[in-house]
Amino acid sequence: MTSKSSMHIDPYERNWIIISIVLLVSFAVAISVAGFAFGIQVPSPEQRVDPRTVADSGPWADPGLRELSPGKYEAYILAQTWSFLPREMTVPIGAEVTFYITSKDVQHGFKLQETNLNVQVVPGQVSKLTVTFDRPGDYDYICTEYCGSGHAAMFGTLHVEP
Amino acid sequence: MSENNQEFKPKGTMAILLIFVLTLILLWGSVFLILLSRGMTVGV
Amino acid sequence: MSTNTYELSAAEKKFVGWHVFFAVAALSVGALFGPLQALEHSGLDLYPYLKPVFKSYYQGLTLHGVLNALVWTTFFITGFLTLAVSKGLERPMKYPKLNAVGFWTMVVGLVTAAIPLLLDEASVLYTFYPPMKANWAFYLGLTLVVVGSWIEGYGMYYTFAAWRKENPGVRSPLAALGSVITMVMWQIATLGVAVEILTMLLPWSLGLIEGTDPQLARTYFWFTGHPLVYFWLLPAYLSWYSFLPKQVGGKLFSDSLARFAFWLFLLLSVPLGFHHQYVDPGVPAGWKFLHAILTYSVFLPSMMTAFTVVATLEKAGRARGGKGLFGWLRTLPWNNPSVTAQLLGGILFFFGGIGGLANASYNVNLVLHNTAWVPGHFHLTVASAVTMSFMGITYWLVPYVTGKKLISDKAAHWANWLWFTGMVIFSNAMHVVGLLGAPRRTPLGLAPYIPEEWSGHLLRVGIGGTIMFFGIYTYIILLARTAWSKKAEAADVEIPLAQAEQDPQNTPEWLDKWVPWLVGTVVLLIVAYGPQLIDQISNISLNAPGGRVW
Repeated sequence: MTSKSSMHIDPYERNWIIISIVLLVSFAVAISVAGFAFGIQVPSPEQRVDPRTVADSGPWADPGLRELSPGKYEAYILAQTWSFLPREMTVPIGAEVTFYITSKDVQHGFKLQETNLNVQVVPGQVSKLTVTFDRPGDYDYICTEYCGSGHAAMFGTLHVEP
Repeated sequence: MSENNQEFKPKGTMAILLIFVLTLILLWGSVFLILLSRGMTVGV
Repeated sequence: MSTNTYELSAAEKKFVGWHVFFAVAALSVGALFGPLQALEHSGLDLYPYLKPVFKSYYQGLTLHGVLNALVWTTFFITGFLTLAVSKGLERPMKYPKLNAVGFWTMVVGLVTAAIPLLLDEASVLYTFYPPMKANWAFYLGLTLVVVGSWIEGYGMYYTFAAWRKENPGVRSPLAALGSVITMVMWQIATLGVAVEILTMLLPWSLGLIEGTDPQLARTYFWFTGHPLVYFWLLPAYLSWYSFLPKQVGGKLFSDSLARFAFWLFLLLSVPLGFHHQYVDPGVPAGWKFLHAILTYSVFLPSMMTAFTVVATLEKAGRARGGKGLFGWLRTLPWNNPSVTAQLLGGILFFFGGIGGLANASYNVNLVLHNTAWVPGHFHLTVASAVTMSFMGITYWLVPYVTGKKLISDKAAHWANWLWFTGMVIFSNAMHVVGLLGAPRRTPLGLAPYIPEEWSGHLLRVGIGGTIMFFGIYTYIILLARTAWSKKAEAADVEIPLAQAEQDPQNTPEWLDKWVPWLVGTVVLLIVAYGPQLIDQISNISLNAPGGRVW
């Protein structure tokens, strides 16, 4: 009776399931090491803001770079239809920049090309990530979420000077 | 029935799926390497 | 095993046929915009010439997404599953009027949503992220489509329950079981978008509340948004498990693993929506990581499906004289366009799976989020594995329900191969250009930041998209001409319902019990979503007024 109702699994298929599990576990280990040992992390809640007033007072009323200590910066970026403020920023090579990005109207995206900085920008929330710039050059930051008629033209540039 | 299946060994299936797994590792791995090469996103 | 000789009644055939009619009608409009977007990427923007009718790239993109991904799929699926339940259980729907009410609710919803879409009053794309605000009729229409699909699901549950009551101890037929599991999963999954629309978007678009909470809306949306993918995929899997084996002259390799896969999809399809929100600011990283692991686990039933389906094909191909490690591939009935469509869809799906696993890999998403990689990926899933399987199904289903022979197998082959070829070119280019940093949902011809090195890939996007257009229109015209042909050549088509290698009665009982799986599903859902839902709902701020920005 038991053999009759037991699950029939072909030995090849059993091996395949084992291979699949091993594969997935290895990938899980890889992303965990990248995330928790190498510090390649995704954003977590930073703070809530009121999108109706966020551009009137506080740090996003005067968006841009602030140098905290030599080589350490904060960048407050305001996304709006259809531009980023500021449109341009310049940091020296080796700069460690913490980005605080929010929107005063609809959702936007903020992707800094050639880096791992790529976040959703949601009204009422602040997207925060920190990036260190080791290579000189011009990095475009582009809007990656549809935000209305002018979406395609919405971008800015970060200059990393040698 | 099951005896039938024991005669039949799905070796071709296994071969295709192993090629798939190798492709998967290669392609997934290349994106993962891009991620690693771009460095950390959180300064601790 | 008794042979199932059940035939749908004329009324049932007609009912299923109406589903396919609306599905293909939606596809025929939605597919028009595909080449427009693709060619725009290659530098040929035809939208200015369409201005009197279609106002923008984004209106076209919205119609493309809503009509193809939401309407073509949902209408086809509810129709196909109705057939699968009836055939599987060898009985008509218990309350056909209930199913009819569901179906016509969906039609009313479709029309309600179509009006603002066509008037450019809802150009918010098929994810309709607030606080971009569409006309209220768009949200209402979508709600009615979802509610209609629920009602059709209830019709299937009643029919299934009645069969179970009359057949105690008998294993549920796989075709029916898989269909009902799909509808139950859909019922649970769509609660997210139902709550989003009814508690936030509808009152807000009607002017009853001032603003909305865009982060909470995203969480609700993706509660539904990822299982939506499985709602598309499971009917294709059902075809591969329950119909394709018969079409290739074989039997399903493993009945019990097929069932096990469906139960795992019920359990795991929903509690992983945060993997679409990895780079959202308002969700803690720990919860994202949990959903990453859960997403990895839902990869497993797909890997099992890959084995079961390919092994079924191998055994059938060997029985047809195929030799060697891969010789059986050639002896499969490639001359049957229904089989070819599903095989080609399956081949593309291998690559869809790889791209999907990359998207789902937590921090790897930093490289890919909202790049052209993402539509490149889902065109290999919903527009390949799913759409090509549905194409394959219609090659026998439309003759079955209309009684008319497919007017040209050759045209069907052209449709399959054009679609496949175009998709290979298009999706590869989209993946590559996405890795290079190209954003999705963007008319790149208008973007000032496009580096020269993207142009070759963008050209391939246009070429692939154009080839696909010819493929899908060959398909649409073929179906239309078949449906409207004179009944001169009567079709002698039967539903290709497959048997399994093993008697399903030997499948263990725990693979035919609902309660433990349903309890497990709810518990996992509470664990994976409960704390975050409570946190986000209790901190709701309806302070984003938003508006129309197109």
